[in-house]
Amino acid sequence: MSELFPLKQVMGFVFSLILTAVALSVYFFNLSFSTGMIILLVTAFLQAGLQLVVFMHAGETEDKGAIYTNVYYGLIIALMTIFGTLLVLVWDM
Amino acid sequence: MKMDHSLPLEYSTEENKLKILGFWIFLGAEIMLFATLFATYFTLVGRTAGGPTGAGIFEITPVLIETLLLLTSSFTVGLGIHAMRLGRKKAMIGFFITTLLLGLAFIGVEIYEFVHYVHVGAGLQTSAFTSILLTTLGTHGIHVTIGLFWGLFIVLQVWKRGLTPQTANKSFIFSLYWHFLDIIWIFIFSFIYLKGMM
Repeated sequence: MSELFPLKQVMGFVFSLILTAVALSVYFFNLSFSTGMIILLVTAFLQAGLQLVVFMHAGETEDKGAIYTNVYYGLIIALMTIFGTLLVLVWDM
Repeated sequence: MKMDHSLPLEYSTEENKLKILGFWIFLGAEIMLFATLFATYFTLVGRTAGGPTGAGIFEITPVLIETLLLLTSSFTVGLGIHAMRLGRKKAMIGFFITTLLLGLAFIGVEIYEFVHYVHVGAGLQTSAFTSILLTTLGTHGIHVTIGLFWGLFIVLQVWKRGLTPQTANKSFIFSLYWHFLDIIWIFIFSFIYLKGMM
Protein backbone atom coordinates (compact mmCIF):
# COMPACT_ATOMS: atom_id res chain seq x y z
CA MET A 1 0.00 0.00 0.00
CA SER A 2 2.69 2.49 0.96
CA GLU A 3 4.42 2.06 -2.40
CA LEU A 4 1.36 3.78 -3.91
CA PHE A 5 2.04 6.93 -1.88
CA PRO A 6 5.57 8.07 -2.79
CA LEU A 7 7.09 10.46 -0.27
CA LYS A 8 7.94 13.05 -2.93
CA GLN A 9 4.33 13.45 -4.03
CA VAL A 10 2.90 13.34 -0.49
CA MET A 11 5.35 16.05 0.56
CA GLY A 12 4.45 18.00 -2.58
CA PHE A 13 0.78 17.85 -1.61
CA VAL A 14 1.48 18.89 2.00
CA PHE A 15 3.62 21.77 0.76
CA SER A 16 0.88 22.91 -1.66
CA LEU A 17 -1.60 22.96 1.26
CA ILE A 18 0.86 25.03 3.30
CA LEU A 19 1.27 27.48 0.39
CA THR A 20 -2.53 27.80 0.16
CA ALA A 21 -2.72 28.52 3.91
CA VAL A 22 0.00 31.18 3.59
CA ALA A 23 -1.83 32.79 0.64
CA LEU A 24 -5.01 32.82 2.75
CA SER A 25 -3.28 35.08 5.29
CA VAL A 26 -3.96 38.05 2.97
CA TYR A 27 -7.67 37.44 3.57
CA PHE A 28 -7.54 36.97 7.34
CA PHE A 29 -4.98 39.62 8.27
CA ASN A 30 -5.14 43.30 7.53
CA LEU A 31 -2.07 43.64 5.31
CA SER A 32 -1.11 46.51 3.05
CA PHE A 33 -1.76 46.06 -0.69
CA SER A 34 1.93 45.66 -1.58
CA THR A 35 2.64 43.14 1.22
CA GLY A 36 -0.43 41.14 0.20
CA MET A 37 0.55 41.14 -3.47
CA ILE A 38 4.10 40.01 -2.67
CA ILE A 39 2.73 37.10 -0.60
CA LEU A 40 0.32 36.12 -3.40
CA LEU A 41 2.96 36.37 -6.15
CA VAL A 42 5.45 34.25 -4.18
CA THR A 43 2.94 31.57 -3.13
CA ALA A 44 1.29 31.34 -6.58
CA PHE A 45 4.54 30.95 -8.52
CA LEU A 46 6.00 28.51 -5.97
CA GLN A 47 2.79 26.50 -6.21
CA ALA A 48 2.97 26.48 -10.03
CA GLY A 49 6.63 25.43 -9.97
CA LEU A 50 5.81 22.66 -7.49
CA GLN A 51 3.07 21.25 -9.75
CA LEU A 52 5.39 21.42 -12.74
CA VAL A 53 8.36 19.65 -11.16
CA VAL A 54 6.78 17.23 -8.67
CA PHE A 55 3.53 16.27 -10.40
CA MET A 56 4.10 16.93 -14.09
CA HIS A 57 7.56 15.31 -14.10
CA ALA A 58 8.85 18.23 -16.21
CA GLY A 59 12.56 17.65 -15.64
CA GLU A 60 12.77 13.86 -15.66
CA THR A 61 13.18 12.93 -19.32
CA GLU A 62 15.57 13.78 -22.14
CA ASP A 63 13.03 16.18 -23.69
CA LYS A 64 13.27 18.41 -20.61
CA GLY A 65 15.19 21.08 -22.54
CA ALA A 66 12.35 21.42 -25.03
CA ILE A 67 9.71 21.28 -22.27
CA TYR A 68 11.30 24.02 -20.17
CA THR A 69 12.04 26.20 -23.23
CA ASN A 70 8.39 25.93 -24.23
CA VAL A 71 7.08 26.64 -20.71
CA TYR A 72 9.39 29.63 -20.28
CA TYR A 73 8.40 30.93 -23.70
CA GLY A 74 4.69 30.67 -22.80
CA LEU A 75 5.38 32.31 -19.44
CA ILE A 76 7.36 35.22 -20.95
CA ILE A 77 4.60 35.92 -23.50
CA ALA A 78 2.03 35.67 -20.67
CA LEU A 79 3.90 38.12 -18.42
CA MET A 80 4.51 40.52 -21.34
CA THR A 81 0.80 40.41 -22.23
CA ILE A 82 -0.30 41.01 -18.63
CA PHE A 83 2.26 43.64 -17.62
CA GLY A 84 2.13 45.34 -21.04
CA THR A 85 -1.63 45.69 -20.65
CA LEU A 86 -1.26 46.96 -17.08
CA LEU A 87 1.37 49.51 -18.14
CA VAL A 88 -0.69 50.97 -20.96
CA LEU A 89 -4.26 50.64 -19.70
CA VAL A 90 -4.13 50.64 -15.90
CA TRP A 91 -0.97 52.31 -14.61
CA ASP A 92 -1.25 54.93 -17.37
CA MET A 93 2.47 55.20 -18.14
CA MET B 1 7.48 -0.97 -32.92
CA LYS B 2 10.71 -0.03 -31.20
CA MET B 3 10.34 0.08 -27.43
CA ASP B 4 12.77 1.42 -24.90
CA HIS B 5 12.22 -0.51 -21.67
CA SER B 6 14.46 1.75 -19.59
CA LEU B 7 11.78 4.45 -19.84
CA PRO B 8 8.28 4.53 -18.33
CA LEU B 9 5.61 2.99 -20.58
CA GLU B 10 4.16 6.36 -21.61
CA TYR B 11 7.57 7.38 -22.98
CA SER B 12 8.52 4.00 -24.45
CA THR B 13 8.13 4.72 -28.19
CA GLU B 14 9.24 7.60 -30.40
CA GLU B 15 5.61 8.46 -31.15
CA ASN B 16 4.79 8.57 -27.43
CA LYS B 17 7.66 10.97 -26.74
CA LEU B 18 6.54 13.28 -29.53
CA LYS B 19 2.94 13.24 -28.34
CA ILE B 20 3.99 14.28 -24.84
CA LEU B 21 6.18 17.08 -26.19
CA GLY B 22 3.36 18.15 -28.51
CA PHE B 23 1.01 18.35 -25.55
CA TRP B 24 3.48 20.55 -23.65
CA ILE B 25 3.46 22.92 -26.64
CA PHE B 26 -0.34 23.00 -26.46
CA LEU B 27 -0.08 23.83 -22.74
CA GLY B 28 2.28 26.70 -23.64
CA ALA B 29 -0.48 28.09 -25.88
CA GLU B 30 -2.98 27.61 -23.05
CA ILE B 31 -0.76 29.67 -20.72
CA MET B 32 -0.98 32.50 -23.26
CA LEU B 33 -4.76 32.09 -23.63
CA PHE B 34 -5.28 32.50 -19.89
CA ALA B 35 -2.78 35.39 -19.84
CA THR B 36 -5.04 37.38 -22.20
CA LEU B 37 -8.00 36.68 -19.91
CA PHE B 38 -6.04 37.78 -16.83
CA ALA B 39 -4.81 40.92 -18.64
CA THR B 40 -8.39 41.81 -19.56
CA TYR B 41 -9.56 41.05 -16.02
CA PHE B 42 -6.96 43.34 -14.43
CA THR B 43 -7.96 46.09 -16.88
CA LEU B 44 -11.70 45.82 -16.25
CA VAL B 45 -11.76 44.86 -12.55
CA GLY B 46 -12.68 48.41 -11.51
CA ARG B 47 -15.32 48.99 -14.22
CA THR B 48 -18.31 47.90 -12.18
CA ALA B 49 -20.82 50.37 -13.74
CA GLY B 50 -22.60 50.86 -10.43
CA GLY B 51 -22.96 47.07 -10.05
CA PRO B 52 -21.35 44.83 -7.43
CA THR B 53 -17.57 44.71 -6.86
CA GLY B 54 -15.47 41.62 -6.31
CA ALA B 55 -15.32 42.21 -2.56
CA GLY B 56 -19.12 42.49 -2.57
CA ILE B 57 -19.88 39.14 -4.21
CA PHE B 58 -16.95 36.79 -3.48
CA GLU B 59 -17.50 34.24 -0.69
CA ILE B 60 -14.45 32.67 0.92
CA THR B 61 -16.05 29.31 1.84
CA PRO B 62 -16.99 27.99 -1.64
CA VAL B 63 -13.75 29.38 -3.08
CA LEU B 64 -11.72 27.57 -0.44
CA ILE B 65 -13.67 24.34 -1.00
CA GLU B 66 -13.03 24.59 -4.76
CA THR B 67 -9.32 25.16 -4.14
CA LEU B 68 -9.00 22.17 -1.82
CA LEU B 69 -10.97 19.92 -4.19
CA LEU B 70 -8.78 20.82 -7.16
CA LEU B 71 -5.50 20.63 -5.21
CA THR B 72 -6.45 17.19 -3.90
CA SER B 73 -7.53 16.01 -7.37
CA SER B 74 -4.17 17.13 -8.75
CA PHE B 75 -2.50 15.03 -6.03
CA THR B 76 -4.63 11.94 -6.76
CA VAL B 77 -4.04 12.06 -10.53
CA GLY B 78 -0.32 12.27 -9.73
CA LEU B 79 -0.68 9.14 -7.58
CA GLY B 80 -2.57 7.56 -10.49
CA ILE B 81 0.40 8.09 -12.80
CA HIS B 82 2.72 6.75 -10.11
CA ALA B 83 0.57 3.59 -9.79
CA MET B 84 0.55 3.31 -13.59
CA ARG B 85 4.35 3.36 -13.65
CA LEU B 86 4.32 0.53 -11.11
CA GLY B 87 1.99 -1.40 -13.42
CA ARG B 88 -0.81 -1.35 -10.84
CA LYS B 89 -3.79 -1.02 -13.15
CA LYS B 90 -6.55 -1.26 -10.52
CA ALA B 91 -4.90 1.25 -8.18
CA MET B 92 -4.39 3.60 -11.10
CA ILE B 93 -8.05 3.40 -12.14
CA GLY B 94 -9.04 3.97 -8.51
CA PHE B 95 -6.95 7.13 -8.32
CA PHE B 96 -8.25 8.37 -11.67
CA ILE B 97 -11.88 7.83 -10.63
CA THR B 98 -11.18 9.67 -7.35
CA THR B 99 -9.73 12.51 -9.40
CA LEU B 100 -12.79 12.69 -11.63
CA LEU B 101 -15.16 12.65 -8.63
CA LEU B 102 -13.22 15.52 -7.03
CA GLY B 103 -13.38 17.37 -10.38
CA LEU B 104 -17.13 16.76 -10.54
CA ALA B 105 -17.51 18.15 -7.01
CA PHE B 106 -15.47 21.19 -8.07
CA ILE B 107 -17.83 21.82 -11.00
CA GLY B 108 -20.80 21.41 -8.64
CA VAL B 109 -19.46 24.09 -6.27
CA GLU B 110 -18.64 26.35 -9.24
CA ILE B 111 -22.20 26.03 -10.58
CA TYR B 112 -23.50 26.94 -7.10
CA GLU B 113 -21.15 29.93 -7.15
CA PHE B 114 -22.36 31.12 -10.58
CA VAL B 115 -26.01 30.78 -9.50
CA HIS B 116 -25.14 32.84 -6.41
CA TYR B 117 -23.54 35.57 -8.56
CA VAL B 118 -26.57 35.82 -10.84
CA HIS B 119 -28.80 35.79 -7.76
CA VAL B 120 -27.02 38.81 -6.21
CA GLY B 121 -27.23 40.70 -9.51
CA ALA B 122 -23.81 39.92 -11.01
CA GLY B 123 -24.76 38.38 -14.35
CA LEU B 124 -22.72 38.19 -17.53
CA GLN B 125 -24.12 41.50 -18.81
CA THR B 126 -24.14 43.52 -15.57
CA SER B 127 -20.81 45.30 -16.01
CA ALA B 128 -17.43 44.98 -17.71
CA PHE B 129 -16.16 43.52 -14.41
CA THR B 130 -18.78 40.77 -14.14
CA SER B 131 -18.38 39.94 -17.88
CA ILE B 132 -14.66 39.30 -17.66
CA LEU B 133 -14.98 37.63 -14.24
CA LEU B 134 -17.51 35.08 -15.49
CA THR B 135 -15.65 34.64 -18.80
CA THR B 136 -12.36 33.88 -17.03
CA LEU B 137 -13.93 31.54 -14.46
CA GLY B 138 -16.10 29.98 -17.16
CA THR B 139 -13.15 29.31 -19.47
CA HIS B 140 -11.42 27.46 -16.64
CA GLY B 141 -14.66 25.68 -15.72
CA ILE B 142 -15.28 24.48 -19.29
CA HIS B 143 -11.72 23.14 -19.38
CA VAL B 144 -12.41 21.12 -16.22
CA THR B 145 -15.73 19.89 -17.66
CA ILE B 146 -14.03 18.73 -20.88
CA GLY B 147 -11.37 17.10 -18.69
CA LEU B 148 -14.07 15.12 -16.86
CA PHE B 149 -15.31 13.53 -20.10
CA TRP B 150 -11.79 13.03 -21.42
CA GLY B 151 -10.73 11.38 -18.15
CA LEU B 152 -13.78 9.14 -18.15
CA PHE B 153 -12.92 7.81 -21.63
CA ILE B 154 -9.29 7.30 -20.56
CA VAL B 155 -10.45 5.22 -17.58
CA LEU B 156 -12.71 3.13 -19.84
CA GLN B 157 -9.85 2.51 -22.29
CA VAL B 158 -7.41 1.49 -19.57
CA TRP B 159 -10.07 -0.74 -18.05
CA LYS B 160 -10.73 -2.45 -21.41
CA ARG B 161 -7.26 -2.57 -23.00
CA GLY B 162 -4.99 -2.61 -19.95
CA LEU B 163 -1.74 -0.69 -19.64
CA THR B 164 -0.20 -0.50 -23.09
CA PRO B 165 2.21 2.14 -24.48
CA GLN B 166 -0.84 3.81 -26.06
CA THR B 167 -3.14 3.91 -23.03
CA ALA B 168 -0.27 4.84 -20.69
CA ASN B 169 0.63 7.70 -23.03
CA LYS B 170 -2.95 8.96 -23.14
CA SER B 171 -3.25 8.74 -19.35
CA PHE B 172 0.00 10.64 -18.83
CA ILE B 173 -1.09 13.41 -21.22
CA PHE B 174 -4.43 13.64 -19.40
CA SER B 175 -2.56 14.03 -16.11
CA LEU B 176 -0.54 16.91 -17.59
CA TYR B 177 -3.79 18.61 -18.60
CA TRP B 178 -5.30 18.13 -15.15
CA HIS B 179 -2.25 19.50 -13.30
CA PHE B 180 -2.24 22.45 -15.68
CA LEU B 181 -5.84 23.28 -14.78
CA ASP B 182 -4.82 23.22 -11.12
CA ILE B 183 -2.03 25.72 -11.86
CA ILE B 184 -4.50 28.05 -13.62
CA TRP B 185 -6.86 27.73 -10.65
CA ILE B 186 -4.07 28.74 -8.25
CA PHE B 187 -3.70 31.99 -10.21
CA ILE B 188 -7.47 32.55 -10.26
CA PHE B 189 -7.60 31.84 -6.50
CA SER B 190 -4.71 34.23 -5.78
CA PHE B 191 -5.23 37.11 -8.20
CA ILE B 192 -8.98 37.16 -8.69
CA TYR B 193 -10.45 35.97 -5.38
CA LEU B 194 -7.86 36.69 -2.68
CA LYS B 195 -6.72 39.96 -4.31
CA GLY B 196 -10.40 40.95 -4.64
CA MET B 197 -11.15 40.23 -0.98
CA MET B 198 -7.88 41.65 0.38
